[in-house]
Amino acid sequence: MKDLRPWTHAALYGALWGALEATMGTAIHLGRVPFRGEIMGLIGLVCLVCLRRLQPRVGVVLVAGLTAIFLKIFTLGGLYPGPLVGIAIQTVAVEFGFLVASGPWAAALGGIIALGTNPVQRVMTAWIVGGTEAATAVLRAIGELGGVEAKWVLAGFVGLAASIGAVGGVSAWRLAGRVARRLGAGR
Amino acid sequence: MNRLLALLLVAAAGASFSSRIEVVAAAAVVACAVAWIADRDSFRRVLRVGLVLGAVFAAAAATAAVAWASGLDRGLMIGGTVLLRLVVLGTAAAVVTRSVDAETIMSLTSRYGMERLGLVFGLALNALPHLSETASTVWDAHRIRSGGRWAALRRFPALAEVLLAHTSRVADQAAAAAALRGHTALSRAVEPLVTGARTVVITGPTGSGKTPLVNSLVEELGRRDIPVAGFFQPAIIENREKIGFRVQDAATGEIRDLARRVARGDGAFGTSFEFFDEGFDLGRRALADPASGSVLVIDELGPVELRGGGHWQAVERALNTTDLAGLVVVVRRTLVPALVEALDAGDVVVVDLESVDIDPLSVIIDALVADS
Repeated sequence: MKDLRPWTHAALYGALWGALEATMGTAIHLGRVPFRGEIMGLIGLVCLVCLRRLQPRVGVVLVAGLTAIFLKIFTLGGLYPGPLVGIAIQTVAVEFGFLVASGPWAAALGGIIALGTNPVQRVMTAWIVGGTEAATAVLRAIGELGGVEAKWVLAGFVGLAASIGAVGGVSAWRLAGRVARRLGAGR
Repeated sequence: MNRLLALLLVAAAGASFSSRIEVVAAAAVVACAVAWIADRDSFRRVLRVGLVLGAVFAAAAATAAVAWASGLDRGLMIGGTVLLRLVVLGTAAAVVTRSVDAETIMSLTSRYGMERLGLVFGLALNALPHLSETASTVWDAHRIRSGGRWAALRRFPALAEVLLAHTSRVADQAAAAAALRGHTALSRAVEPLVTGARTVVITGPTGSGKTPLVNSLVEELGRRDIPVAGFFQPAIIENREKIGFRVQDAATGEIRDLARRVARGDGAFGTSFEFFDEGFDLGRRALADPASGSVLVIDELGPVELRGGGHWQAVERALNTTDLAGLVVVVRRTLVPALVEALDAGDVVVVDLESVDIDPLSVIIDALVADS
């Protein structure tokens, strides 16, 4: 029989991510903690990069992301489309990173795309829930408050989030190495 | 939920993305009507304080932003649309989460030849409570060891390392169990097994003497001319080290190798053990057709059995077809509640070898033969 470890690892890491989203994620979202999207994004990034380093198979990250979305819907997280869109984009970003690069570079690239798209995801969520008019109004309001054009505000947030993603990706790769050594896998 | 209601719910969810408030309002009415007919309890799930506050907050934010840009009337219109849209989506999510379970997912995925995806979803659903509890326990231990919340957060990598390594170990065990005993073993919930037999559950930490106790019990029952069936698994010891397990038929004494430790990487299914079919065969034979009035001894049942896989069907057959006098099962501590739930056995005596004050053998004998 074929080795089922990539599948069970994808299930367990997806479940771990789903469990953290359901417990910690709910707590920080209800508590309106600043940068909650980035915090949960980093946690997801750690799970995905660690999974990909321990089970270096193409597609394993996508299965984990699918599992996390499945669990999110089952824990009533399906009420909010934002996290579901976030999980899907983050999963594709990390898989893409590992398809075009390898090692810590892949993790950094995945992190940049995954977290860099976070501010865009919020606009997308606002667009899905509120429609074009609400999304544009939110962007304009932010821009007016900061005294600059909306696109520059968005670009600033994207740059900041992408930087956090790059550092987070490399840190997650190193953490995955420590986990591999702890498990004695010799990677 | 029947197909018509399901279709109406999907249509309502789709219509909720319309930009016209009257269409979204109609979708909200349809969604609520479907939920009322299909499952009234789903409303209770939607009406949680946090969810209601979240929806109101999103609607208020949209109202404020649009009112500031395009006037109050337009803002109220958009805010109302957002609120109604969240009512539709929330109600649909609540109905779906109550109507679909792991079994449905499993049968759906296997119908389309996607058994492994079913395995993944089923395993994830089963693992969710365990991982949530583990995350909470690891956090508490880490916080206490670090001397406070903030100190613990500063040492976040160490916390994450422990949690991720634990997750990997569980995934390895699950892969081994699934490969040995089939995909569905990890995701199928077990039906309660009714038995009139007096039931004793033996548990305790590793090395506490569970298997030697079962061995002594079999000898004692033999001295009392009480027939015994089932099996136990003595360890294989070499140079004072446990290097594997054998299976021993409690009735005949026949013994076969079950598993032996090998070098890491050489084991089967991602474990550090090599397994032997003859051991599994003997275990199944030992559970088949126990004599009437006998005591069935099973050392031990694991998480796979308690989800309906492994030896569970053989246990089911043995309990269904025979007038057993008693049932003695060895399980690890964390599985005792699941075993008691899986066995609809009335009074169950649990013997924990770490906490029992008197001779455990006499406790078990008393439980099995007190009134006979």
